[in-house]
Amino acid sequence: MTSTELARSSVVLFVVLVVQNTVLDGVRVAGAHPDAMLLLPMAAGYMAGPDRGAGFGFAAGLLADLFLPTAFGLSALVGCLLGYGTGLATRGLVRSSWWLPLIVAAGATSVGLSAYAILEAVLGEPGALSADLLPALAVAVPAAVVLATPVVRMVGWAMPPVPPGRAAGAGVR
Amino acid sequence: MARTRRPRRPRLTIGLLVLASISIITLDYRGDAHGEISSLKNAASDAFSPVQRGVDAVTHPIGSFLAGAFNGGELEQENSKLRAANGAMARQLLAHQAMADQLKSLQVLEHLPWTGSIPTQTAKVVNLNPSNFAATVKLDVGTGEGIEPGMPVVGGAGLIGQVIAVSSSTSTVRLITDADPGSQIGVTFGTSSGNVASVQGGGIGRSLTVNLIPPGTPIHKGEVLTTSGLPDLAYPPSIPVATITKFSSTSSATQESVTAEPLADLDQLAYVDVLLWEPTS
Repeated sequence: MTSTELARSSVVLFVVLVVQNTVLDGVRVAGAHPDAMLLLPMAAGYMAGPDRGAGFGFAAGLLADLFLPTAFGLSALVGCLLGYGTGLATRGLVRSSWWLPLIVAAGATSVGLSAYAILEAVLGEPGALSADLLPALAVAVPAAVVLATPVVRMVGWAMPPVPPGRAAGAGVR
Repeated sequence: MARTRRPRRPRLTIGLLVLASISIITLDYRGDAHGEISSLKNAASDAFSPVQRGVDAVTHPIGSFLAGAFNGGELEQENSKLRAANGAMARQLLAHQAMADQLKSLQVLEHLPWTGSIPTQTAKVVNLNPSNFAATVKLDVGTGEGIEPGMPVVGGAGLIGQVIAVSSSTSTVRLITDADPGSQIGVTFGTSSGNVASVQGGGIGRSLTVNLIPPGTPIHKGEVLTTSGLPDLAYPPSIPVATITKFSSTSSATQESVTAEPLADLDQLAYVDVLLWEPTS
């Protein structure tokens, strides 16, 4: 990662964090709200491949964990796995369709929230799986579809896709 | 869809990141580095607080304007304050009623502190439910205002939760609806000193479950549950918590199946009072 990419990535992380904590946290339906921080690993994996997706997802998750009451490191674990998984699942795809990121965002958000709830339940919070997951999915997945395009564009600005063959595991544009 | 040979480096990267994440979670969960992690979270919260207030100041009027309410921001704020004051009065009334009932039979608890005599610190709710998996709110007061972990928080007509984390300028409150098994509240109801039960949250926006009420216990819909102050004195006695909304029992049941709704409207929290009272345990 170049210094320009690092600086741009920091800006993107900060902007999305501010939007999440000041605007999106207030958009509540049935007690749940959209989760833009979960879209960052997805966008990084989609745009830059599994390697950089995992790293960006880890950083985004760790940053989100600073402001969450849940176990520290949980979002980082989900973030790096989500970035890596999205990078792997989409690296062979030709991205000419405008709707592809929307579908990837919906799928990644579903997987990310489910993984988070399962890990929370493992750590002694069974209510995360039995009570909180369904409302979270019902609100965050449609919101992810709406937010996917701007978040993917922002992450693409910070971490431009590497042409095929230039870097191992990089996404194919 | 051309597939290329899977490279080795990403596997190493993801392996190291997963290992790092699990190590951090373990350190936090076991409490080995809980102090350091809490300090880090508190520092981040303090650093972010001015940004949050600044953005709130900009976005709140825009939101009100877009909602079609001219001068809506001021009215909304005034409304919130009035709602908080109204709730405080309702809470006092319920507390007085509960006290009057309990005084007949709870003479043994006379020496315990009463909520009405406990000093409070008014706070503004700056973030409702920052996580989709924990019922919490963030307040704009912290250690600078005398807030400590464990202090009860009331709002509207009743108890809303307990402070679980404090930085110098903010504090996090776990709401009574949180499904964490460790957040049970000892409550009392009716006029008998033996009528004690335990209230457990069911998750964000969900009803409360009341446990430990033996079958055949005389209860009725609308009955107010107040903190018992027992067994571990996590809360002072006589704070109104919830009202019973549904109950049923079967012949083989070991306890009544009871559901309750919080007295405070946890979706409309704007201003709350932190009771400057620390648990004894």
